[in-house]
Amino acid sequence: MLEKMKEKVVQTQLFKSVFRHGYPDNELNQAYVVFSNIFLHIHPVKVRRSALRMRYTFCLGGITLFLFIMLAVTGIWLMFYYTPYTGLAYKNIKDIQFVIFGGNLMRDLHRFAAHGMVLFVWLHMTRVFLTGAYKAPREFNWVVGVVLLVNTLILSWTGYLLPWDQLAYWAVTVGTKMASYTPFIGQNGPWGAQLGVNPTNDLMFMMIGGTVVGQNALIRFYVLHCVVLPLVVTVFLAVHFWRIRKDGFSGPL
Amino acid sequence: MSIVADQSQNNDSGVLGPTEQGRRKFMLAAGWGVVGATLAGSTFAAYKYLFPPILYEPPTVFKIGHVTEYGLGVDERWKLKGRFWVVRNMRGIYNMISICRHLGCTPNWFPDQKRFRCPCHGSIYDVHGNVRGGPAPRTLWRGQITKDPVDGALVVNTVIRLDPNPAQTPQGLWVKEKVKEVNPFWLEHAPPAGGSCSSNRLLC
Amino acid sequence: MENKAVREIFPRDAKKSYGLVELMKGASPIVRKEPEDTVYTWPNLIMIELICALLVTAALILLVQFEHAPLRSLADPSTTPNPMRAPWYFLGLQEILVYFDPWYAGVVLPGMIIVGLMIFPYVDTNPKGVGYYTYSERKFAVFNYSFGFALWWITIVIGTYLRGLDWQWYWPWSDKLAHMNPALVTLVPLHIVFVNLLHVSKDVAKGFCDIIFLGYFAVGMLIPYFFMRKFYDSMGAGRYITFMIFFLSMMGVGLKIILRLLFNIKYIVVTPWINV
Repeated sequence: MLEKMKEKVVQTQLFKSVFRHGYPDNELNQAYVVFSNIFLHIHPVKVRRSALRMRYTFCLGGITLFLFIMLAVTGIWLMFYYTPYTGLAYKNIKDIQFVIFGGNLMRDLHRFAAHGMVLFVWLHMTRVFLTGAYKAPREFNWVVGVVLLVNTLILSWTGYLLPWDQLAYWAVTVGTKMASYTPFIGQNGPWGAQLGVNPTNDLMFMMIGGTVVGQNALIRFYVLHCVVLPLVVTVFLAVHFWRIRKDGFSGPL
Repeated sequence: MSIVADQSQNNDSGVLGPTEQGRRKFMLAAGWGVVGATLAGSTFAAYKYLFPPILYEPPTVFKIGHVTEYGLGVDERWKLKGRFWVVRNMRGIYNMISICRHLGCTPNWFPDQKRFRCPCHGSIYDVHGNVRGGPAPRTLWRGQITKDPVDGALVVNTVIRLDPNPAQTPQGLWVKEKVKEVNPFWLEHAPPAGGSCSSNRLLC
Repeated sequence: MENKAVREIFPRDAKKSYGLVELMKGASPIVRKEPEDTVYTWPNLIMIELICALLVTAALILLVQFEHAPLRSLADPSTTPNPMRAPWYFLGLQEILVYFDPWYAGVVLPGMIIVGLMIFPYVDTNPKGVGYYTYSERKFAVFNYSFGFALWWITIVIGTYLRGLDWQWYWPWSDKLAHMNPALVTLVPLHIVFVNLLHVSKDVAKGFCDIIFLGYFAVGMLIPYFFMRKFYDSMGAGRYITFMIFFLSMMGVGLKIILRLLFNIKYIVVTPWINV
């Protein structure tokens, strides 16, 4: 019965127009399904059996990517109720937590997926290091990976200003104050004052749009967290995956 | 004659004349120059865009009443509203801004230990604002304190700050009280009646 | 399945007008290559990825039934929570900030960690150990990574479990609710120690400190050059100097932490502009 329905569905014009090949239960269609699909074609059509061994990759990079996708999805749900305004942000988070149906689940998932992403980026990096997978000709992809690690950390940091609670305020106060110690371009940094850098023209002022963390800082971090940094990460992820294919898989040959 | 000269400068001849070469080099340089100028200009514009010339920030000037309203020692009543402490000693009154000089957290005052201590990285200051421990690289700021000419009340401005030059004192961690008790960051005043600095000798 | 004979490559011989061809069952897109032990991505790899994603989702949903995202009280510039603990992945940074001035611990050191990680493939000249887990074939590289990794995680553990009120050092058995008295010993720059011990003037003591600091880097640079010539030769001068600057800085961070915790040394080098 199910088999017959499947046959019917696969034969329809609609199915054919979408998938351009039959159901992937034979080798030809198994090849088609990968290289005619934009999402699956980051994979080769065939992979070495040894590459499937879990004890080599532990699927750490894949889990990191999945957590990133999950963060994007839960983040979009949270954006429906969140206002980047100091007078409302905290109340919005309270609403999400206690009033809105499923809001707490989305917030919890977003927070813990973020923790998980940081953890799995580190684990993935450790795995790549221990298997020597960064060596020539894959040096550049390792550099891209480090950029992604840094971006992940900045995403986390910009993210926790948004609830406008005590952790948000002080983490960002401390973090941006650290930027004010940058040599030459920070008001407190070595050779900063000598070069005429003061609280209204230094790096910290540029980051938070003021002399203290306030409305300008909140809106800046909101834009960075929700638009700029996810885009940057997406671009670097594309390069990262493309280079895996181009540089070749390091695993047992 | 003119036809021959034309040919030598023409592309069709395959060989470029010196003027043609010079013009191409010039055009190339000019083209890159325009690209570079555009990039530099837009970078500068983007940089300027990130520095707002108008700010909406919390107030920084506070009228805090008369000297006589404050007892000897550290007074915390303005910490919540104005982010500064008022300190009265045997010679006068000053204020210290409650921003840790390390990374900007708000330290807490411990009367029993006679120390300000920061909860973020453990910086410790004494009642003069000098660093007694932890990673703080400079002494606490003192804000401007003046008397209102009309009613004689004290006015604190937390933007105008005393920050002794570390070149004068080792690393700026220890600055003599004399250096800091200067106008407009300090107001001379007789000690309160019956006041004694035996509990904290730094107030003497 | 793993048959040596099947995996043999048949080289083309220019003298012969024919080549060895084998007819195989199945439709393989891999043409003009030796037979390989490959399988189709769909469904073999896709299913593994799907299962991974489902397991992660399930684990996360299970986790949030017991643990909820924290939300503290409304932001308040006049009061800092005591102690103020950063999220775990920044605790290492927060802890390092106790030992170094912010321009170094907050800006230069993180920058060096990032750049150091980036340049690792370019200074690691050992061709061995690609594609499998090994320690014996690349001991030094693994040691370096583990040392940095350990430094990071030790500071995270210190920040999480050994720091309490006012960011003081609390042992697991000490009373976490009582404010500790600040240590009776004050932190001193290293040259003050020399002044007290050797009764020399401040400037002479500062000179000692500068010599110790520069000597650490100079000796560190020279020891492998003279005594581990193989190591130096395998890298070449450019790679060697780049690597050693990062390596010695990493070791120096560990040394400074020990000096601070055991001997209350605030700075080693004091200059009018920067203190380390």
